Order: sequence, then C-alpha cells, then structure tokens
Amino acid sequence: MTENVSPRRLRVIFAVFACATLVLSLRVGYWQTVGRAALLEGATDQVRSDLVLTAQRGAIRDRGGALLATTVPLRSLYAIPKRIGDRNALAAAAAKLAPFLGTTSDAVLGALDSGAEWLYLRRRLPEETAKAIEALGIAGLGFETEPKRLYPNDTVGAHVLGFVNDDGVGQYGVEGAYDAVLRGTPGRLLVERDPKDRDLAVGLRTARPPVDGTDLTLTIDLVVQNAAERELRAACEKERCASGSVVILDPRDGAIRALASWPAYDPAAVAKADPRALQDRAISWTYEPGSTMKAITIAAAIDQHVVAPNTTYEDKGYAVIGGRVLHNALGKAYGTSTVTQILEHSANAGAVFVGQKLGAERLHAYLEAFGFGAPTGIDLAAEASGDVRPVAEWYPVDLGTISFGQGIAATPLQLAAAYAAIANGGTLYRPYVVAARRDADGEHRTAPVAVRRPIAPETAATLRMMLTSTVDNGIANGAQIKGYSVAGKTGTAQIPSDDGRYLDDAYVSSFAGFAPANDPRFVAVIVLERPQSRLFGTVTAMSAFRNIAQDALRGERVQPDRP
Amino acid sequence: MIASQAVRAAAPRRVVHPRPRHTPRVSRPAARTAFEVRTFVGVSAAIAVAFLLAMLYLAQTTAVATLGYQAQHLQQVRDELRRQNALLEVEAARLDAPARIETEAAKIGLVRAAQIPVVQLEPITAKR
Repeated sequence: MTENVSPRRLRVIFAVFACATLVLSLRVGYWQTVGRAALLEGATDQVRSDLVLTAQRGAIRDRGGALLATTVPLRSLYAIPKRIGDRNALAAAAAKLAPFLGTTSDAVLGALDSGAEWLYLRRRLPEETAKAIEALGIAGLGFETEPKRLYPNDTVGAHVLGFVNDDGVGQYGVEGAYDAVLRGTPGRLLVERDPKDRDLAVGLRTARPPVDGTDLTLTIDLVVQNAAERELRAACEKERCASGSVVILDPRDGAIRALASWPAYDPAAVAKADPRALQDRAISWTYEPGSTMKAITIAAAIDQHVVAPNTTYEDKGYAVIGGRVLHNALGKAYGTSTVTQILEHSANAGAVFVGQKLGAERLHAYLEAFGFGAPTGIDLAAEASGDVRPVAEWYPVDLGTISFGQGIAATPLQLAAAYAAIANGGTLYRPYVVAARRDADGEHRTAPVAVRRPIAPETAATLRMMLTSTVDNGIANGAQIKGYSVAGKTGTAQIPSDDGRYLDDAYVSSFAGFAPANDPRFVAVIVLERPQSRLFGTVTAMSAFRNIAQDALRGERVQPDRP
Repeated sequence: MIASQAVRAAAPRRVVHPRPRHTPRVSRPAARTAFEVRTFVGVSAAIAVAFLLAMLYLAQTTAVATLGYQAQHLQQVRDELRRQNALLEVEAARLDAPARIETEAAKIGLVRAAQIPVVQLEPITAKR
C-alpha cells in the first residue's frame, strides 16, 4: 500500500502523528501531575456534599406542660420557571398560585418571569396552604423545609417569651435570655452523593450529629397568664391607658406565674408590631409606686419597733416636713387614727408620721433590703434597676414623700417581690421564670434563691393582718373576693415631668395584693399608666386583681378560707 | 604405580530395574499436554475464583448502597412523620389555648361563672 506513497510524504505524516502524540502525552502528563489537584478537587466537589445539620431549637412549656413555643419545619415553595413551561404556562401557574399566596397573579408572574433559574415564591407556608398548592400538581414547583418558630397561644405570654428573628436568634424574654441554651449546636454531614443526589452509604461518610437545644419548662401558668393578659387588656381599653402591666408570682419561692405588659404584640409577627409594644413594662419600666409603698414604710417601722399597728397619731389632712406641706389625697382629714388606719385610709400624713419616726437612714436601709434600687435578678433580659437615691442626696421633704412612694422609682416586679416578702413571712426571693431545663442528660430544676430577710416573721404577720384590714375595711375593698381573705393596698401616684415637677391630672394607678391572706398562694401587682378615670383608676386595677385572683385560686384548687 | 592401580575402573554396571507391570510408558509430548491442561485448569479456576470474589464484593457493595438508599428513604419518611407530629402538637396546643376557648365560648353565648360554689368535705373517720 505504501509503495505508491512517497517517502517524504510518509515522513511528514509520521512527524505529524509523532508531534500529536507528543503533545497529547505532555497534556496527559500535565493533568496527571501539575493539574492533578484541580481535577481531583473538581471530581470531589461533584460527588461530595458538606452539609450543616440544623439543631432543633428547644421547646418552651408552661408549668403544666402546655406548649408555649416550638420550632417546626414548614414548607417553602420554590419554582424552576423553565420547567413550568412557556409564558402561557407561567401565566396559568401564576393565576392558580396567587389566591394561595395572598397576592395578585401579576406579582407571581413577575417573579416567575424575572429570569431567575430558581427562586422562592413563598417561604414557610402554613401546612394547609402547602398541601393545597401541592394538590394543584403544577410542574416546576417544589418544596423545601425550613424551620419556623411557632407560638400556639398567639399574643399570650409574648413579653415573657420574646421571639426569634429571621436569623434564628432569640430576642427579648426567655428566647433572648436563654438563646444559647435553646439554640443547640449544629452538626455536620460530609457524604458522597450519586447523580440523583442520594447519599452513598458505601462512600465517604463522616457525621457529627447535631445537639438539639434544651427544652425549657417555665414557672408561668398559662391559665393565670391568660387571665392576667385578658384583664389587663380590658382594663387598659376601658381606661384608655398609655400602658399597663401585671406581675403575678408565688411568694413561697419567687416563681413567676404571669407577666403581662400592654400594649402587647404577636411574637410570630414582630415586623408588624408597634416598637413601643416590645418593651416589657413589668420589668423594664419604672414608675413612682405611690401609696403601695406605705406598706413597706410601715413594715420597716414595725420591724424597728418604732410604731405598732395601734399606735395613734392626729391626722389633720396634711403633714409638714422640711418646710413643705404634704396633703392627704383630696385633702381629707381623719382625726385620731392608728397606723393600721394609715393603710385603710391611704393617708399621706400618716405615712409621713411613720417615716419621721423611722428616720431617713433606716427607711433607706429597708428600701434597699426590700430590693428597691437594684435589679431583682430575674432570668430575663433588659430588667431595669429602678432608682433609690442615696440618703446623702435626700432633701428633708424626701423623707416624707418617699414614705408614701413618691420620689423613688421602681418596677412592678420589684414591688411584687417586696409584697411577696410580706406574704411569705419576711423572705425576699429572687423572681425566676425558668423552672426546669430538659436535655439529653435529663431534667435540671431551678432552685429558688432566698436573697435576704428584710423583716422578721412577726413583722410580716402583722403587715398581713393590716393589709387584710385595708381590703376588708378600707380603701381597697374593691379587691375583696367572696370566700377568700385578701390583703392589699392601692396606689395612685403622680407622674414626674421633665422639669422635675409633677404632671397635673395624670396618674399611675396600681394595686398590690395577695390571697389568701392567711396562706398566700400568689402575689399580684396591677399597674395602669394614665387611666382616664385618673384618681379612680385604682377601682379598675382592683377589679382586674379580683378577676385574675378568682381564676388563679380556681386553677390552683385553693379552698376558700372564709367559706 | 601399581599395575592394579593403573587398571581403569570398571564401567558401572547398568542396573535394569524391571518395569512394573500395568504402568504404561508415557511419552514427552503427553507430559507437556498434561502440564498445560493442569495449568489451564488452575489459571481458569483462579480467574473464576477471582471473578466470584469480585462478584461477591460487587454484590455486597450494591446491597450496601441499596440499603443505604432505603435507609435514606426511611429517614425521609421518618422526618416527615416527625414533622407532621410536631404540626399536630402545635395544632393541639392551639386548640387547647385558654384564650381561644374563651373566644369560642363567648361566640356561643357562654359567660364566665360569677361564682363557683365550693363544697367542703368533712373528713371521713375510719370506724374501728
């Protein structure tokens, strides 16, 4: 065959093939040596999948086990427009999807026609909506699951729970304070996959399992929390208050049974919330407590044995101290009155009398002993400390005003903790919200913390008796509950203005009390800011207390002590 | 040198062993053939064994991969069941919510009881 081919041509053809072979050999050699790493990496990337395994965020339950917050994977709808079809198919799909997505078909079509190869149409759909869309059977649509924090009780407990933002980080409340405990630790899965994106059991597989978050059981009682929020909302709407708050705790150990703040918000829809509503006024807002502080002043004086429940004074309707005249509410004069009647009448002049007997140093010491001027230490974020000025900064008149609760700032929680010390026999407990944590190691219960004993048990018993008389015979009779003994005190405090004086005709109305008085099972503080009925806002506060107390006593199966 | 020593050693006597009976005489070509046959059989057997081992390995690998697919599918089924379970738990909690119950009760005209009478039970004394 080659006899007709010239030798020169053969040499040329041979040279061409030799060169080609040489080039190919060099190329192969290159990819086997220098380029090996790149090829290997590309091959590895094709088959290997390095996934982060999401840890399940811990659930939050009330003391009875009712679910308050949990994380559930919800389906997010995605679309691959090319697989749906041509523009007519896209339009048809958009028309079918729009009602389920709560938008117009033009908006859906715009998203599908945006040129994206893959896009989310809606994330974290309600399950019913996802099922309905799946039933449409539209090609090119699919679902991926994404975690969503759900709160089955809607707005109830919103402030104590807090919420989780879009990045999965807890904000405010328990979600914020216990975020590190709730979030868990993500895991990792390094695995080889086949062309259908399925894990290969025979290939590389290294896994570090995720550590799920810890479940929390709160001290909150959902029934009492619901009652507190219901009554607070009703009171604030009736009085058209600027704000309101309710604190209910167990005086025996400081466990918080309910923490309510108004205005409220929905933790599942924080983006739509009024920013003012995010503040938990029960722990982050301070006010001048007013007459509810008279119980503290009198407790201090009795504990110091400078007065007794039957100690008398002459009530002229006013008292003079530090060159200033301090009047009773509405200027009323009560004549010869006992210390017990100071509470029954809520007489400012009587409080000044007791304060003067006690003295500024001792009053200040007892205020600090009862926890005022410092955070209680509750296991929630953003707690305010309140304000009790050092004695050295007191003017002579401050002894009088502070005796009846003006001139100091406190949170509703601080007041509740102080009243709890009176209710339980004299021990100040640190309030707490998380009763137990449950993780892989089991359940870990929170031990109550007794901070100090501000007053003796005898003093506490005496104050319980006096506060019971205040409800039975005095100004707080609106808090009476049929069948039960109730102890408590109302408060109507002026609101300080920016110029250091007090606003005219604007008050904070409150009630602090506990029941049954003989064996207190709960302490409640209700605070209403700027009620429309002004001086009579305490009537609404007492009504709220009464309704909450009935639910709380009923829920606890507390037997009437005055059948 | 002694004459006797100069005598060349006698040629070794050839010992002829009588051929055992019934033993066929084997020729050289036949021996080679037998060797080749044995070699062929041995190599074929080795290849067959290697093939079987390879098939066994392949079968096991395939079985493991198949089981892996089944396990992954079951995990997906399990995860979906857990998801549905969690959704049901949330729905149950939502239905049990006191606020929802109060709202539904109000819709059908129920009102809160103003007072719930409490019956005090006398303690029962055990009779002797």
